[in-house]
Amino acid sequence: MTTSGWLQIIVFSLAVLAVTKPVGVYLVRVYDGSARWLAPVERVIYRLCGIDPAEDQHWTRYAASLLVFSAVSMLVTYVALRLQAHLPLNPFARAAVPDRQAFETAASFTTNTNWQSYSGETVMSYLSQMMQLAFHNFTSAAAGVAAAVALARGIARRSGGRLGSFWADLVRGTLYVFLPGSLVLALLFVQQGVIQNFHPYATATTLEGARQVLAMGPVASQEAIKQLGTNGGGFFNANAAHPFENPTPWTNFLSMLAIFVIPAGLTYMFGRMVKNQKHGWALWAAMFVLFLAGVTTAYWAEARGNPIHAARGVDIVASATNPGGNMEGKEVRFGIAGSALYATVTTDASCGAVNSMHDSFTPLGGLVPLVNIQLGELIFGGVGSGLYGMLVMAILTVFIAGLMVGRTPEYLGKKIQSREVRMAMLYVLIFPAVILLFTAASAVLPAGLKGLNNGGPHGLSEILYAFSSVTGNNGSAFAGLTGTTYYYNTLLGLGTLLGRFAMMVPMLALAGFLGERRIVPASAGTFPVTTPLFVVLLIGVILIVGALTFFPALSLGPVVEHLLMHAGRVF
Amino acid sequence: MLDVVYILATLAFFALMLAYVRACEKLGDEGTGEEDRP
Repeated sequence: MTTSGWLQIIVFSLAVLAVTKPVGVYLVRVYDGSARWLAPVERVIYRLCGIDPAEDQHWTRYAASLLVFSAVSMLVTYVALRLQAHLPLNPFARAAVPDRQAFETAASFTTNTNWQSYSGETVMSYLSQMMQLAFHNFTSAAAGVAAAVALARGIARRSGGRLGSFWADLVRGTLYVFLPGSLVLALLFVQQGVIQNFHPYATATTLEGARQVLAMGPVASQEAIKQLGTNGGGFFNANAAHPFENPTPWTNFLSMLAIFVIPAGLTYMFGRMVKNQKHGWALWAAMFVLFLAGVTTAYWAEARGNPIHAARGVDIVASATNPGGNMEGKEVRFGIAGSALYATVTTDASCGAVNSMHDSFTPLGGLVPLVNIQLGELIFGGVGSGLYGMLVMAILTVFIAGLMVGRTPEYLGKKIQSREVRMAMLYVLIFPAVILLFTAASAVLPAGLKGLNNGGPHGLSEILYAFSSVTGNNGSAFAGLTGTTYYYNTLLGLGTLLGRFAMMVPMLALAGFLGERRIVPASAGTFPVTTPLFVVLLIGVILIVGALTFFPALSLGPVVEHLLMHAGRVF
Repeated sequence: MLDVVYILATLAFFALMLAYVRACEKLGDEGTGEEDRP
């Protein structure tokens, strides 16, 4: 581990801290309707779509709107990908995307997952990239934030289960947050050398005399929303390790900051909405502690390197001319700290963009992204999903604290009773159930085993990572698993849908139920949610829930692989 | 042929999710505290 490596982590942490309040204040203005600088455009959209922005939807109607919007947009994308060959902006005559991949891709982008079993540069036309995939990059992100805002409203007010207008929240998030944010970020990326064009692919002759085709395309505009919306789907197969997507250390830093900026701001927005800013910061602190634990572990494991490499004479000690550690699968431009930090950030959030191959990390280094996803991606998390995941955990935390002292638990003035806990537990249980059932099936069925490129515990890690990634709507791949089969395309696509909607529905129900509760004043028996004790208890609940559900699977995968690595075996 | 299967499966999934909304609503009704009943 080096000073410059630690400096990267420290500067990044300070930058996240610095943007939290200004972004949070802006988000409050967007979602309470007081940001009006795009009002004329907003009014036109409402008129064209027949939206009443003042509608206060009951939670069931809010959830139904979200589901109907997602279903229609997913089916449109499926059909468009299947008809790609007949649509414009297809200069290289790309054929129709195969049915199984079109299903998986449509499901994946609709759910903000962006798991990709294809290479963008060889499968997708420019139209598919710009209209279908980018459309979902914006709207799936805006839908995620809308759902989080709905939960915040349910907690903040007594509204008879009414949570606002999904359609207005979707439009305002897209118009006021993601479009302007992406425009600014895309321009910064272009200035740094990210390409943005419609040119035919270029041909170059390498120093060795070989011919190389260089893929072109409108990359910067895709790259910006990919990070800001925690989508993660790369224009190129190599994702953010590709020099046209992520050319400089500055774009690398900006990308990571863009991933965390809205999730961090949402904690501040929540504090403002519930009129308890200290609680917003307590949530931020819990997220930050978990982030710091993850990045420190990943950096330590990767900087320490693989003892088998050292035994074979590879110099794994860092020096002025040698990055040391485990550089397999990493870009030399970013090194170990830049790769470990990026891997942690992208899996803390539900982004899934990668600048290194997680499959090539050491077992413990690879364990960190896997655990980050399995904790529910609430360490800042996906845009919206991070906040509502953390709020569900906060509700469970006060419930457990209430049980300890024998009082009816309250969360920010709302009593937590059986129906709230039922919804919270549905939310918590669906996630591991989908991951573990699909992983177990794939570890024994011939169709599942056929896709494996590695045996032993590493092979299990590859399957476990794939289902964790899609169910957590992350989308990053561990690599090493051939997912382009009917079995994996279909099951992984289904995993993205279950991980998004089967969890969102009970969360919105929870929001509605809390919205029906009256607000009771704090009393001597109220568990304070602004203290370090609350932060510690919240982190404890998150870790215990994660450990209890996933530790057995993790012990058969990366943990045993780590022990075998020290015994001289690799997989 | 498989296009029809994937499209119908997608529609079935979202129909199931709409039914799930109703099921959650019903689960909630069973656990409503008297003082908060609308």
